[in-house]
Amino acid sequence: MDGECVKLLPQLCKVLAVSGKSLPDDTSLEKLLDWFSGLTNLGTGLVEACPCLPAFISTVIHNASPDPTILSFTFKLTGLLAATESSFKLLQENSLLLGSVFDPPHRWQEAGFWDDPCVRIGWVQGIRAMLQHPPALHFLVESDFTKVLLRLQTDTSLFVAAAANDVLAHILVTQSQLSGKCVDMEREEKSSIGKTVTMDADVQRLALTLGSSSDYATVVMAILEHVKASLVSKENKERHQTLQGLRLLIVVFGQARAPLLGILLKAVSEPLEALVAEGHSQLHLLLLDVLLTAYSCSSHDNPTTGQHNPTRDQVLNDPDSGQPADSLISHMLDTYKPPELIHAGAALLRRDHRDLSHKAKAAGLLLLPLEMITGLTLPGTQSAGSAEQRCSLAELMNSKTPCISLLCVCLTHATLLTCTPPDVLPCPIGSLVTVILSLLRICSGQAPISPIGSSKAYRNLIGCGKVQRCSLEALTALAVSPGAAERMSEVFSVLIEYLDNPDSEPTVLHKSYQTLLKWISVLPVPSSSIRDTLGQDLLSVVRKRVCDVRWEVRDSTVEFLGDLAALSPSNDSAQCASENPLVCSFTPHLVEALQDPESYVRASAIKALAQTFTLGWQQGAAPSQQQTALVKQLLDILSGDTEGFPRRAVIRYFSSWFSLWSQNAPGLPPPRSSSSSSSSSSSSSSSPLLLTSSVGSVLSLGSADLDWEVKVHTLELARLLLHRALSPLGASASLSGSDAASPRQPAPHPYAVTGQWAGPGGQGEAGDADPGGALAGLVEQGVLAVLLSGLFDCDRPVALKACGLLMDLRDAVCPTPAGAAPSAAVAAVTCKLQGCSWGKEVEALLERAGVVANGSKGEGSKGCDWTGDEEEEEEEGGGSVRVCDVLRSLDLDERLSVLSQSSDHVQNSPLSLLQDILSIGDRHADPNSQEVIVDCY
Amino acid sequence: MKLYCLSGHPTLPCNVLKFKSTTIMLDCGLDTTSVLNFLPLPLVHSPRLSKLPGWVSKDGSINLEKELKECGGRVFVDSQPELCLPERELMDLSTIDVILISNYHCMMALPYITEHSGFTGAVYATEPTLQIGRLLMEELVNHMERVPKAQTATCWKNKEIQRLLPGPLKDVAEVWAWKRCYTIQEVNSALSKVQLVGYSQKVVRVLHQELFGAVQVSPLSSGYSLGSSNWIIQSHYEKVSYMSGSSLLTTHPQPMDQSSLKNSDILILTGLTQMPTANPDGMLGEFCSNLAMTIRAGGNVLVPCYSSGVIYDLLECLYQFIDSANLGSTPFYFISPIANSSLEFSQIFAEWLCHNKQSKVYLPEPPFPHAELIQTNKLKHYPSIHGDFSSEFRQPCVVFTGHPSLRFGDVVHFMELWGRSSLNTIIFTEPDFSYLDALAPYQPLAMKCVYCPIDTRLNFHQVSKLLKEIQPLHVVCPEQYTQPPPAQSHRSDLMLELPAPPLPYRRCSVLSLPFRRRYERIHLLPELAKSLVPSEVKPGVSVATVSGMLQSKDNKHTLMSVPRPPPAAPTKKRKRVAEEPPELLAPKPLLSGAVPLDGFLATLHKHGVSEVKVEETADGHILHLQAEDALIQMEAHATHIVCDNNEPMRTTLRDLVLRFLQKL
Repeated sequence: MDGECVKLLPQLCKVLAVSGKSLPDDTSLEKLLDWFSGLTNLGTGLVEACPCLPAFISTVIHNASPDPTILSFTFKLTGLLAATESSFKLLQENSLLLGSVFDPPHRWQEAGFWDDPCVRIGWVQGIRAMLQHPPALHFLVESDFTKVLLRLQTDTSLFVAAAANDVLAHILVTQSQLSGKCVDMEREEKSSIGKTVTMDADVQRLALTLGSSSDYATVVMAILEHVKASLVSKENKERHQTLQGLRLLIVVFGQARAPLLGILLKAVSEPLEALVAEGHSQLHLLLLDVLLTAYSCSSHDNPTTGQHNPTRDQVLNDPDSGQPADSLISHMLDTYKPPELIHAGAALLRRDHRDLSHKAKAAGLLLLPLEMITGLTLPGTQSAGSAEQRCSLAELMNSKTPCISLLCVCLTHATLLTCTPPDVLPCPIGSLVTVILSLLRICSGQAPISPIGSSKAYRNLIGCGKVQRCSLEALTALAVSPGAAERMSEVFSVLIEYLDNPDSEPTVLHKSYQTLLKWISVLPVPSSSIRDTLGQDLLSVVRKRVCDVRWEVRDSTVEFLGDLAALSPSNDSAQCASENPLVCSFTPHLVEALQDPESYVRASAIKALAQTFTLGWQQGAAPSQQQTALVKQLLDILSGDTEGFPRRAVIRYFSSWFSLWSQNAPGLPPPRSSSSSSSSSSSSSSSPLLLTSSVGSVLSLGSADLDWEVKVHTLELARLLLHRALSPLGASASLSGSDAASPRQPAPHPYAVTGQWAGPGGQGEAGDADPGGALAGLVEQGVLAVLLSGLFDCDRPVALKACGLLMDLRDAVCPTPAGAAPSAAVAAVTCKLQGCSWGKEVEALLERAGVVANGSKGEGSKGCDWTGDEEEEEEEGGGSVRVCDVLRSLDLDERLSVLSQSSDHVQNSPLSLLQDILSIGDRHADPNSQEVIVDCY
Repeated sequence: MKLYCLSGHPTLPCNVLKFKSTTIMLDCGLDTTSVLNFLPLPLVHSPRLSKLPGWVSKDGSINLEKELKECGGRVFVDSQPELCLPERELMDLSTIDVILISNYHCMMALPYITEHSGFTGAVYATEPTLQIGRLLMEELVNHMERVPKAQTATCWKNKEIQRLLPGPLKDVAEVWAWKRCYTIQEVNSALSKVQLVGYSQKVVRVLHQELFGAVQVSPLSSGYSLGSSNWIIQSHYEKVSYMSGSSLLTTHPQPMDQSSLKNSDILILTGLTQMPTANPDGMLGEFCSNLAMTIRAGGNVLVPCYSSGVIYDLLECLYQFIDSANLGSTPFYFISPIANSSLEFSQIFAEWLCHNKQSKVYLPEPPFPHAELIQTNKLKHYPSIHGDFSSEFRQPCVVFTGHPSLRFGDVVHFMELWGRSSLNTIIFTEPDFSYLDALAPYQPLAMKCVYCPIDTRLNFHQVSKLLKEIQPLHVVCPEQYTQPPPAQSHRSDLMLELPAPPLPYRRCSVLSLPFRRRYERIHLLPELAKSLVPSEVKPGVSVATVSGMLQSKDNKHTLMSVPRPPPAAPTKKRKRVAEEPPELLAPKPLLSGAVPLDGFLATLHKHGVSEVKVEETADGHILHLQAEDALIQMEAHATHIVCDNNEPMRTTLRDLVLRFLQKL
């Protein structure tokens, strides 16, 4: 713990004890608790380390009229302090502090504090925090707090009730697992299965085997009795208690292991059966959830090994555990009314219920509304639902809202059918696809009404975007299912209809595109008639949609074209993706979209063009005339577009181009900027040349951009260039600039680094390993300028990324420690400071470090190393410095540590929090001081 | 009350309402779909059209070579195009007192009604309706007269011959109601009878007080086009609403006044959208994207449209779309004899525009953005393809021109010019004509064809919501609205579904409207009113008896005092009985109030009737006076005294009952 904080704590406790409600803001106490719990998790014994805390607790509880917020905080703090056994004991020894803190029935209730829900929830959470060890449980039992908890389970405040439920579940589940003897218990349990014993005996035996005292048994008994009582049928007004009981069971069943599970099941099976038989619609879904949680194996499958828990299985199959859940579920499915019936079906599938017959029934139920609407008969739905249920479902489907909501539930869960074993599937996937297609046609008003379909329900659906979206999502999920391929041409025809329909909403069109893409992705590679027809239809539809009035539609269309190009089979013998006739015919539309008035569309078009040319870049194909013109257009966008999105997209376009090119041309030297003026010469005949000539402009435009994201993307491009230049030096492994937040690799040993490029400084391959040459190349390309400009940027993410990259560069070319001399070639590389926004700052840093820029006033200063052609420098006005000097003088490590901290790290520190709280103490102390109201705009 | 239906076209109605001795014609729409059976009228000589083979029946028995030509696989009438008039035989048009016009599309048959029929009444319309209607009529006349045809084909109309003709000529109905277009003189004469009205103005009282004293007529904004209206026809106790083309969309006209239509006894509902499945927004989007697609590909776009109405919205939509689609340099041409007037008129009818556009006028800015398109030379308008246009014409371009039937007007020229290139596109935006029929004489056609009918009139969904809101007692509508469209028989949502089924009509129907007139307003003369002595029967309600003489004249009823008998003659000469005025008997007083049971029993007791057995009934009580052997049956609205032949007893009891009642 920070020493300063420790010093402040006693003072803070004093302030808190008196100040009450006038805290800086209502989250201060929560933040304080978070800090304490963080410290506890790190193993700090707060009671020993901060004796002021127990004293504070004692002060608060002895205060006749404590503030409810502080009281609540005190409960939570006490619970937190007592969370470890040793601290608990210390507090117990401290003149029975715990007993007087958690004494609601007597003191707090009498004093009227208990009426405040914040006090009650503080108490519950305090108990919850404390219950981490057996002595705490003993304390609970001894103080008879179980009754209070059980009462709070049905508290009027939902938060209190939920917290109490949580504590009860925690007691049942966690306490039973605390003992290391669980395994023995399980063995014993296995041997005792089948014997009829009373619940009391069960619980006692459970407690014994857990090695805990009778405390656990007492608590479990009390809770079980309470739950049983709450489940027994009551008047409607007491339904809340039943609901809470069921919610508790859901939590416990989800986590309980064999011995406890068996006892629980045995205890509650009878009341559960009774509840199921009563059939209160309010309880339907909760009851189903309880049964599914209790009787599902999957929740207790070992997630790492994928094995079932055999003991749990045995418990579930134990006839003593009451009537098997299967029959209860069957009863529910037979008696429920829609829409609970449909929701129950969905729940059964979602929870992956183990009983296959139920699963099949559930699948049939889910398809029932689809069948009713479309009038198509699905074989598996015959057994789903009684005649009465079907009748009332049909009636329900006539009103708009339930009809739409039920269909959406069915469609959303229909995707689960794809993971269902074939023998459980109510109908082949192909039929399901047909039904969904028919529904889509109904929604667009195209399908004729079926003689058995409901005309009223049909009217509800025409033009309903929600059902259309859900149907399209379901269709997307079904694309990969076996058997779906048979319906491929129908799917394409409906999707094309949707894309062509003038009344399709933009969101529906977007989904249609996604669905289409998915289905195209599973289209068999050999060109087929489907592919040809689709190509023609798609072309006419897309041509229209890129001219749509709504920008969202144009954006989705352009995005789709990009994704379609990305889908193109990579093993195509074609030169690039645009050789694909389909993609090829779309490229002019993408180029045209670069002039769209909406910035999102322009950005999407740039991305889509990048996706279109990806394959060509990978294969190093020569750029077409179109691509050459495109580069010029993109540079225009980068320099002139008023919106950030297209500019960001342009940088990413070049990054991905460069990245793909450098992956596929490892042997080639890094591209050098030929000349900034001839950046996009149309005479560029090869992809590298065109790329090289553009990169310099991209870097300079990108780093001068006003948008910080553009600058970060520019730095990413700089990283790629850096990586490309430095990889022959073996420094690539340490490049961390791509993710500056990640812990940096330890700096390589100086001699080791030097040794890596201490080879013969020749040309070609050997020349590539020349650090001086690489560095000079980076300076020439403008990479260094981008990095330095980024480093002094006022946006933290930019500076952070630049800093990381500069460190990489420094580590690769300038050996540490600083005193060691760089190789002559490296030392000879200079850069100019003049004319750059960051020049002055670097100059100042160099001066401070005793290095002066070449040609500037610091002539004769120590450490000044003149390099380069003097005449040339005179002509250009001088201002050149050695790159190595710059890199060393920047104090990058210190900068990185500063930049790595979030901008609010000072405000968020515990010290700041303590000071904030203490400041109110000052205000109280000086009644004349007036609060300074800060205008926080 | 009767309704005579002279037109079967649901959006071009012509109905006559007879109501309280007045005869009111509601719209006089002209069905121009008949022109689709005729050959186009080319503006310049067309070798293709002039060389068409004449039609002779297969067996050679019928030779109509001069009247019918075969073109594009179909047979067309080679004659001046004829228009289908409203039915003129169903009733005597000269008896029509007044014609109410809803919008400029629904007045095109006006000259046929007002001229040469003996019509002497008045026509009411709003100013934009009159002015734009005049323009459209002039344009129609101009289109027809520019390409005169010497002959008029009539032989084919012979029933015996017509049934032997190939379809669709064989199946066209009402061919004898088809007539050539009127002349400009007839137009002027017809329009001179129009009297201008403003929204919600109660017009008729001022103009025809003597005849229409009891019926008031007022137009309401219908939101469909500039100056378009629905009409309320009401007497003091009856209200008939007439709904023609109406729209709830926020386009350029003033929004629809829905609330005034509430509580009508009869609602005559016409003019719903002809394209219920085509959402206008979607179609507008479709129009723009197809237009941009064609221009980008280097083709021309032809938009056959009317010169007023949706074109304003199209131009406004394009104004916003041009830049986003990079169409800034593409010329837009609007060619019509009335193009200039139409564009200018739309800008000056500010008070008839929606609020947004009205407020622009005060800025001051032109309400429609097409002014800016004209200023910046992006939109150019010409009266015809001849003259300036030919020197300015630049391709690729977009041309808006009529007529949407493609049978006459400048559009015929562009069809001949551009039809053979697949780069060009024709975009249909008017819903009045089947685009396939319109294109039939131009087949085979290479140019692309896009059908984006934009009909902003109410759709079935909107109208059923509206009807729920305004709750008319009875709805009368064209029979087409009572069943799904024939081509989409599965769309049960595309028909009117009302709790009480609507009364359907078709051409030549005469409907007796289910209308029970229960009340009539009567004026009391002041001296008679002064003589009344009202007495309060319950709080806020006073009644008085009145005797007087009722005079009914011109649908007005006046109650006046009964003339007093002249004072007795001074002479003793006895007057003849016959000359004496009828003897006036004082009316019997009217009773009101209720007899309180307890009080009545007490009174009976006071009068010696003590043995009373009270029996409670559903409506009141039966008092059995056992000693007197009499029954008094007291109900809410009647009291009966039953005592067998004991008149004194009855009188006594009656008087006792009367004590508790008020006399008027």
